[in-house]
Amino acid sequence: MKLYLGSYLSWYVPQRLSRLDIPLLAPISLMELLAQLKLPPAEISIAAVNGTMVPLEDTLVCDADMVEFHPPVGGG
Amino acid sequence: MAYGTRGRILRVDLTQASFRIEHFDEAFYRLYPGGKALAGYLLLRELAPGTDALAPENLLVIANGLLTGAPISASTRFTVAARSPLTGAYGESEAGGFWGPELKMAGFDAIVVSGRAAQPTYLAIRDDTIELRDARELWGREPEEAQARIRAELGDKLVRVLQIGIGGENLVRYAALTNELRHFNGRTGMGAVMGSKNLKAIAVRGSGRYADALHDAKPIAALGRALGKRVKEHPQAWDMQEKGTPGLLAGLNAAGMLPTRNFREGVFEGVANIQWEVYEKELLSARRTCYACAIRCKREVKVDDRYQVGDAYGGPEYETVEGFGGYCGIDDLQAVAKANELCNRYTLDTISTSSTIAFAMECFEHGLIGLKETGGLDLRFGNAEAMLKTIDLIARREGIGDLLAQGSKRAAQVIGGDAPRFAMQVKGQELPMHDPRGKVGVGLGYAIGEIGGDHLYAAHDTMLANPDSISFKGAAPLGVTALPARQLGAAKARNYAILENWNSFGNAVGLCYFGPAPRSFIQIDEVLSAVRSATGWDMQLADLLRIGERATNLARAFNILNGFSRRDDVLPDRLFQPLESGPLAGAGISRDDFDLTMDELYRLKGWDPQTTVPTRARLRELDIEWVADLLGV
Repeated sequence: MKLYLGSYLSWYVPQRLSRLDIPLLAPISLMELLAQLKLPPAEISIAAVNGTMVPLEDTLVCDADMVEFHPPVGGG
Repeated sequence: MAYGTRGRILRVDLTQASFRIEHFDEAFYRLYPGGKALAGYLLLRELAPGTDALAPENLLVIANGLLTGAPISASTRFTVAARSPLTGAYGESEAGGFWGPELKMAGFDAIVVSGRAAQPTYLAIRDDTIELRDARELWGREPEEAQARIRAELGDKLVRVLQIGIGGENLVRYAALTNELRHFNGRTGMGAVMGSKNLKAIAVRGSGRYADALHDAKPIAALGRALGKRVKEHPQAWDMQEKGTPGLLAGLNAAGMLPTRNFREGVFEGVANIQWEVYEKELLSARRTCYACAIRCKREVKVDDRYQVGDAYGGPEYETVEGFGGYCGIDDLQAVAKANELCNRYTLDTISTSSTIAFAMECFEHGLIGLKETGGLDLRFGNAEAMLKTIDLIARREGIGDLLAQGSKRAAQVIGGDAPRFAMQVKGQELPMHDPRGKVGVGLGYAIGEIGGDHLYAAHDTMLANPDSISFKGAAPLGVTALPARQLGAAKARNYAILENWNSFGNAVGLCYFGPAPRSFIQIDEVLSAVRSATGWDMQLADLLRIGERATNLARAFNILNGFSRRDDVLPDRLFQPLESGPLAGAGISRDDFDLTMDELYRLKGWDPQTTVPTRARLRELDIEWVADLLGV
């Protein structure tokens, strides 16, 4: 699975990278994915799978998916 | 003298070529501690309603915030204010960098410039040595060369230079000021006011120590050290340092609220070519910072490829990347970087410049202007070469550029037909790159903001949507409520009012938007402690918010005396129309809900909902009853 972490979400992963490849042997829920990566759900404003926004809850992803997480984004 | 201030401002009359130093006492600074508050006071007191913004009688106020120059992150900003040539309303713009702290070290809280010099002039301040110097050889020169010449002439390579380029000299109504070539007072055309006064630059060097003006310097120094250590541990501060504002693009696009092609769409198909990862790979040459700021959010860029962009003028921020990117339908980040460099060399506000060009592109596509008017430029969305050429024309006031230099509102009136529908502006100022259809509180700020459409009046709703988020928890001491980003109503009006006061306070004390809540790198109690340590005043959080509210009321009163009322606190019609595609497809703003929320906002502010005139009772509560006398209420 390919993962894109927008803005400050990269801070939470050890490599502090925006793009990660995460092999998935079986489908996983987005909430489980967040837990594995130690990403706090409260900082996720937008979740998208293959370019479509999805709810954090009740969404399963598999190895072929492209997942994006973005935090709340303000002004700049 | 009040602790935390220098206790004096410099008055410069360019017509008479004379100076005067004016002193203020502590009671004054408690009400108007600096920045927006001080500028609002001076403009309301001294500028006759109806004064032509480009006439010698307009006042150009350059005011440090109370904490500007404190050795803590995010406390570098100063305000430039005047009647705006773009809007005719109260004009104001803040910048960081190094110039404001240097002015404080030179012993001044502010400079008030009146009149018009007989010939191009620059002001040199070296502590109490103040001179007006001949700038005829500087006029027409780009900021990099002008700065070098000024430093050579003064024999001091560390002198800080605030100046205008040809955009200001040529009175482009949205011309900016720049300091150190990389920091900009961008909005509301303050550079044109400076140009109208024949004032090319203000060079400053000070030998004083900010700490000597403080009531208690030790806690402030300790906070500065703590913030320096905190940067790497704070996700948002780390992000500002690592990616900076260009990191916003991907998230706004994914949410369907990236203003695209003049707010027609919320998703830009070319975003992958202009977002942060491309910026880092193709443009980034260094990271820079402002005075004493550990966040280091400024970028420097250098390109020698499809376009040549030098590293003198700093890299594009989010507003600029998106403004010259998706907003103009352009997916070439190098072209965007070139547009940014041109605007910075000419000192043009990148938001108003890009937005006015996008407006012209839409007019062109609708046949309202043609090749004859554009001088042969195929000014369609996506044409990067035409965009870059148009920036040149605007700065030089040539061809179509002369019309577009007036801003989109005036240009639309000249073009006629449907053109006013395509001018995405409020009070004449072009909207920034945030779509209120995705975060409605930003729309409240666009509508009600005294300076016209601007994104820094409001807290962005998305940051206050989740009660467990860093942003919300940081802002919680202000008394805000967690609310969905697209929800209007009384609770949203209340959130807006609180955060507007907080942001206005930030502009009065010189704090950058990227430091305190809701960014929350600097906690609210730390801001309060810093103000107390600087001044020795036993202030509470409510007192800080009153400083912000008072400053807003001064600006509002200025506008009312200049003929503004509720009819000017409106959004462009397009924002009430639903987006047709993307994640927010079908999402518009309900006009009825918006109007009801505005009604509630005026009630919370203590303003008449029809005229927006503040009540005498509210002005008395804010200790500025003299404003009620001015307004005749």
